[in-house]
Amino acid sequence: MRLTQSLLSSVGKMTKLYSNLPESYIKRAMEKGKVGWKTPRTVQYQPKEIKKKHYRFTMNRPWTDEFARQNQVSRKKVYVKPIPKWSYFRGDMVEVLVGKDKGKQGTVSQVIEERNWVVVEGLNAHYRLVGKTAQYPGTMIASEAPLLVDDQVALLDPADNKPCTIEWRYNESGERVRVSTRSGRIIPTPTQAEETYDYKTAATYRESERDTKEDDLTIISFKPQLSTFEMDVAESMGIELGPPPSETHWY
Amino acid sequence: MLLPIPTSLVSYAQCRALHTSASLLGKRNFRKFLLGPKAGTLAFKNERAKEVSFRKKFPDIDIPDYGTRPTGAHRLGDSTFITVPEMIPELVVPDLTDFNLKPYVSYRCPEVVQEEFTARDLFNAVYSDKITADFERGALTEGGQPREPSAEESLTAESARQRARGVHTDIWEK
Repeated sequence: MRLTQSLLSSVGKMTKLYSNLPESYIKRAMEKGKVGWKTPRTVQYQPKEIKKKHYRFTMNRPWTDEFARQNQVSRKKVYVKPIPKWSYFRGDMVEVLVGKDKGKQGTVSQVIEERNWVVVEGLNAHYRLVGKTAQYPGTMIASEAPLLVDDQVALLDPADNKPCTIEWRYNESGERVRVSTRSGRIIPTPTQAEETYDYKTAATYRESERDTKEDDLTIISFKPQLSTFEMDVAESMGIELGPPPSETHWY
Repeated sequence: MLLPIPTSLVSYAQCRALHTSASLLGKRNFRKFLLGPKAGTLAFKNERAKEVSFRKKFPDIDIPDYGTRPTGAHRLGDSTFITVPEMIPELVVPDLTDFNLKPYVSYRCPEVVQEEFTARDLFNAVYSDKITADFERGALTEGGQPREPSAEESLTAESARQRARGVHTDIWEK
């Protein structure tokens, strides 16, 4: 039990927020496939499990099949610097500090907290041809490589759009905000940070016929009455309350 | 069973355990084998179909049923199956017209926080209006008891308990 909890806690908070999936599903999906073995749940067997001790997080999300396939092979453990307060969100403008795109600025399109990675759209990419045949030259696709958050990218100071270091401070309303240490300007959280797999923003979520609407949800139809549950049921079914049965005693 | 071996013929190092009969006398604990419903030859499955005789022949083997509840029983000493209507579950589904609560909740809805409805809240809901009205027009005694008690106020613990026990079933009514 403790082992599974530590496995689930190794999945980043940003990942869980973006996925909008129940935690039990993520845990179950990570453990499926050939990454472990369980004894059959019958009377003959003791409930034992052989499990992976740690997962190697990749560009694929932890509940996907590709992730399970990549984790079937045991690889050397990756040491990830623990970052107490994660400061990078989808939609942030960052500058790339290393590689062939050094000095260029782009938007964060993906955040992989478990490896301290961000993926910047269009930058630090390698290009590959997909679907090349003798007749067709193929489609060129840019696959962005991830960048480490502490060394390889930097958030931009809104005053001069140059890379800066940030701190989390409290503003007048008491909210925690990111502040550039150089100029003191607040770096606002982008609206794309609120995006999940199901919606771009909660207010613009497209309701389906199986969703309870706000008006129906906030109705309180409970009327406090001095009666037991059985009496309520009898009243709704039209059963009259009769005389009480004879007394019972426990000896 | 280890037979006595004459020590002149073999040394201790060369000696191995000899079994004159098959180990465990060929018995197998079939309870340890997980036989799925697809396991076995046609004869095995046919025997399973006639369950009573099979059970007599192989009392050890457990036939998996995935926990389905039976809707009847076999006649004693026979393989005929009698369906008992009372064992068939009756799903009681309430009428859902004008019921707007759906299985999921929209992400647009705000977080609704409802505190626990305690006994104190129930008391306030049932009695507080009358008590405040009586207090304002002076209809309470010095001890705080009502001079003109309502039906709820004149309930005692014993009478309330008897009232609750008065709920009968109407299954047997014609």
